[in-house]
Amino acid sequence: MDEEYDAIVLGTGLKECILSGMLSVSGKKVLHIDRNKYYGGESASITPLEELFSKFGSTLPDEVTFGRGRDWNVDLIPKFLMANGSLVKLLIHTGVTRYLEFKSVEGSYVFKGGKISKVPVDQKEALASDLMGLFEKRRFRNFLVYIQEFSEADPKTWKDINPQSATTAQLYDKFGLDPNTKDFTGHALALYRDDEYINDLAIHTIRRIKLYSDSLARYGKSPYLYPMYGLGELPQSFARLSAIYGGTYMLDKPVDEIVIENGKVVGVRSGTEIARCKQVYCDPSYVQDRVKKLNQVIRCICLMDHPIPNTKDALSCQIIIPQKQVNRKSDIYVSLVSYTHQVSAKGWFIAMVSTTVETDNPELEIKPGLDLLGSYKKKFVTVSDYYEPTDLGTESQIFISTSYDATTHFETVCTDVVNLFKRGTGEDFDFSKIKLEEEAS
Amino acid sequence: MASIKVPEQKVILCGEYGVGKSSLFRRYAYDTFISSSSRKSTLGLDNFNKEYKVDDRSIQMQLWDTGGMERVASITSSYYKFAEAAILVFSLDNAASFHVLSQHLLEIVTYAENAKIFLCGNKSDLEGTTPQVTEADMENFCEQCHNLISSTYKTSCKTGEGVEEMFADIGRQLILSNRSRLELQTMGAGGIGTDSFKLGGRGSEEGEVAEPPCLC
Ligand SMILES: Nc1nc2c(ncn2[C@@H]2O[C@H](COP(=O)(O)OP(=O)(O)O)[C@@H](O)[C@H]2O)c(=O)[nH]1
Ligand SMILES: [Mg+2]
Repeated sequence: MDEEYDAIVLGTGLKECILSGMLSVSGKKVLHIDRNKYYGGESASITPLEELFSKFGSTLPDEVTFGRGRDWNVDLIPKFLMANGSLVKLLIHTGVTRYLEFKSVEGSYVFKGGKISKVPVDQKEALASDLMGLFEKRRFRNFLVYIQEFSEADPKTWKDINPQSATTAQLYDKFGLDPNTKDFTGHALALYRDDEYINDLAIHTIRRIKLYSDSLARYGKSPYLYPMYGLGELPQSFARLSAIYGGTYMLDKPVDEIVIENGKVVGVRSGTEIARCKQVYCDPSYVQDRVKKLNQVIRCICLMDHPIPNTKDALSCQIIIPQKQVNRKSDIYVSLVSYTHQVSAKGWFIAMVSTTVETDNPELEIKPGLDLLGSYKKKFVTVSDYYEPTDLGTESQIFISTSYDATTHFETVCTDVVNLFKRGTGEDFDFSKIKLEEEAS
Repeated sequence: MASIKVPEQKVILCGEYGVGKSSLFRRYAYDTFISSSSRKSTLGLDNFNKEYKVDDRSIQMQLWDTGGMERVASITSSYYKFAEAAILVFSLDNAASFHVLSQHLLEIVTYAENAKIFLCGNKSDLEGTTPQVTEADMENFCEQCHNLISSTYKTSCKTGEGVEEMFADIGRQLILSNRSRLELQTMGAGGIGTDSFKLGGRGSEEGEVAEPPCLC
């Protein structure tokens, strides 16, 4: 450990592992440390099942048999990959995709008027859908055609609205969409968590709807992908990328001090050893005094022996409960994965209900989500603080990622990583640096 | 569609740092040997495909190197996933590297429970007249682990002796045992699980969109 590094990365969560990979690939000498003895931090998939129970301070009960414990790989933070999203692009460009296999999520649902309806994926489903009336369907169709033909580079396709100055509300009104359709569009397609976007620029909403439909076009069933063996495979794969480009890994290593001289980081101390470095990249848990708490996210893991009712027995799906439907400010998300992804024993399902906390009784807040699940055999609830760094790290050279938010996908994760990389190196990440030894020599 | 079913058979190298895993990988891939253990030696490359044939049947053996992660930390569990075979490597001139193999074996049966397992004593050129690990030791080990080990080999990456023979034999056994990935997956934890796919390769993500999206 007593060596000098360009960068020391603390924590092996997904963001830190992607950063570590990017830094190693860019030729930096990287030391990557985790205080835990496993990879992934909060992004790990917990295995075996006994470990999950003990993490939540309980033990496997005798009365329910959950199958073989080591067949379980349970995520702590539920997310799916958008098939055409930034994480998929990053996986492909870095070649990390070779370590992973995926399955397409079977369906996306939205909660309306007390029940769930499938988000239509083709014209047939759209015509049959009870999400909106016939006339509204026509207006909505016009709106979608506009989005599909819209090109940022070609003002002719903007028609008579300037998406760079108009708000989303103005865009909706131009197409005469009713409040229900606006709600559906903003929350089930553009995947906004609350209604603040309404006054944000139309272009942002258009981009998000395009991401949804381009992702959907990839595999047809839904815009989402999920990796075999759980999300914990993602940080591990990027850690591997870092390692094959020279990064050094240390697990189970306590981090006792981030050593500062003249306001700037010079090393990391573990016990009596000090590894010297020019920069530190880390998650908020390693620098409690340099982050501020913004809000909280509640996540509830439910182990079930059946699929979610009214989803055509889907082995994986997502349900969005738009905030207005349940008189909230932020949406509630339900996600389901199962034995088909090798994350649970045969016949078992893992549902997750999550949202941004708004009251002092968060468990009550997720009830509308839990009610959709039918029965469950075991429930684990976490309420985690959402942190942001107090400064950009320019002076201290300590670059801190934000906590994982309540969004259902990885878009904000990638944005944060790309920003951190840019802040730390002053450069945009250059994908052409990723060359195999063969090509390089 | 952007999905491709990969017909390769994944074979992983396991064992302590310094026993010669990267050297075996290097012999397998380019038939070369580098005497210094320069960390740069496997920079950016960690798997290599090669075809093996028996009569009219063939497989693409895809050999994986650890990427040196075992130097200080443990190897990620994802390294083991989807492996059809694992080669447990130790160094014939280093008894300690042999005695920790049960540790590595445990990881293999935990994370790649259906993989065929092979034992390889490397650096046979350094064996000398008083071997650190005898053939009897190797046999005992195989017995102790309930005959989980399919075959044992001795190799020298330095001279090349036994290396190609080992890979050819492993390739032959994989072909003969004829276990397809599909079967392996059905044997595995989840049971059904045959429609998973890898994402398109680098650069190939453009122009794959089959038809225009239609939500409407
Ligand atoms: N004499 C001899 N040295 C070897 C042999 N195989 C590997 N080495 C050397 O052992 C050291 C470690 O090898 P390496 O392949 O990096 O081991 P790894 O850590 O298991 O990947 C290097 O210095 C190699 O040159 C061999 O068969 N004979
Ligand atoms: Mg090596």
